[in-house]
Amino acid sequence: MSKITIFILVFILSSSLIPKTDQYITKQGKVSFFSYTTVEDIKAENNQVLSIVDVSKNEIAISMLMRAFVFEKALMQEHFNESYIESDIFPKATFQGNIQGFDKSVQGIQTRIVEGTLTIHGISKSTEIKTIIDNTSGNYIFSGEFDIAIKDYDIKVPALLASNIAETISISFILEYSPYEK
Amino acid sequence: MKNKIFFWFFSCFILGFGNALSQDLLEIIDNEYPDQSIYAQATFKSTRISIAHSVETRKKGILEFHLMNRFWNTPEPRTQNFAADRMSSRIGLEYGISDKLTFGLGGTTWDGIFDGFLKYRLVQQQINEGGSPLSITLLQSTSYRSEATDIINAFDSFGNRLTFTSQFLIARKFTTNFSAQIAPTLIHRNSLLLEENPKNQFAIGLGGRYKLGYHVSIASEYYYVANPLESLRTFGAFSLGLNWEVGDIILQFQLTNARAMVEDAFITRTGTNFNFNDGNLHVGFNATYVLHFKKKPKTVKNSL
Repeated sequence: MSKITIFILVFILSSSLIPKTDQYITKQGKVSFFSYTTVEDIKAENNQVLSIVDVSKNEIAISMLMRAFVFEKALMQEHFNESYIESDIFPKATFQGNIQGFDKSVQGIQTRIVEGTLTIHGISKSTEIKTIIDNTSGNYIFSGEFDIAIKDYDIKVPALLASNIAETISISFILEYSPYEK
Repeated sequence: MKNKIFFWFFSCFILGFGNALSQDLLEIIDNEYPDQSIYAQATFKSTRISIAHSVETRKKGILEFHLMNRFWNTPEPRTQNFAADRMSSRIGLEYGISDKLTFGLGGTTWDGIFDGFLKYRLVQQQINEGGSPLSITLLQSTSYRSEATDIINAFDSFGNRLTFTSQFLIARKFTTNFSAQIAPTLIHRNSLLLEENPKNQFAIGLGGRYKLGYHVSIASEYYYVANPLESLRTFGAFSLGLNWEVGDIILQFQLTNARAMVEDAFITRTGTNFNFNDGNLHVGFNATYVLHFKKKPKTVKNSL
């Protein structure tokens, strides 16, 4: 083998073995949703949201178990899983997208649009989410708020409860990342 | 030449390896999910399948109001009553002491039976890998017959009016829509009013529910008694019902031959067979209102 081939080999080897520090992960991300109506306020929180962000490719992925949403009322949580979101059939909600115009060299807070596909209840919709990205502490914190219409995700509300459950649910999230080591 | 082929093979292998490392982000986090037990929930929506107990217990701090009713007609050809000739109601309260232990009390109007029970969730079915394929709940119920017996020579003390029912409720949620339950039951009567009757009676209950829609399911139950009463002709309690739950209210409608609503009474003392004749057909509904006393803490641990 010539010196060049050895050089190429070493280059390929080393490039694939160098740990990627551009990926950041969280396993304790927080996602909560609110439904405000005049009759009833419903709030649920999930503290076990998984997310990974690749700051060199500007890609982000989020995944959560619907079962991990905690409601104030235990029965409501059961109804949510059993009759609305059908978590036995669709256990997870996921999001996969790109951060538009994100620059990892910028220090401090920047607000960017994350464009991607949100999958809830087995239905995927392309969504744009305004996200505040904070890297002042060295690690990344993503946070934001957005609304979804439950109709878009084929979640049916019985006519009798139409006044208890809002047509638009507001979702907020805080994802605090730390470097991902394989 | 050989070296060159080896080189290309080797570099292809390494490139492939490099590609495998830069996999889809969503796949990476899917592999990062912690191993957690995910339990089957809502094997049955209510603490009753239709007429008898299901494996379900209520969570800590939940108070349930039960109103159970049975309506039936007397076999007399002409009666002057509106809608139904007779009715019986059981009013009950159930409270979740912990997520696994429930305490309940109730009283029935028609036969004057008061009952209390403890229900403990022993095993919960797990839907992911590992864990139990079945849910098991233990039920211990005591009932007190408040009305005096008309048998003159019976020794009628407080203790002699008690009957104890022990049940192993074993259920499995087979699919999202279908759940089934089998319930071996032992009923012990403290006193024998009539000598020929067995003091301990064994019964086995079968029950199932099938979900028709998001909030509606059909449910059916049957109880077979291995050693029935000798003094009275009895039949197995059967019920065919419709369950409907909306918000905090659960409604259960049923057609049944069981008049009583306390376990020992309807399992061993159902004196009518299931058919549509007056006197035999009982139309019932259970209304359950669920009240949350203790709001859930903000911890997610063990809540799955």
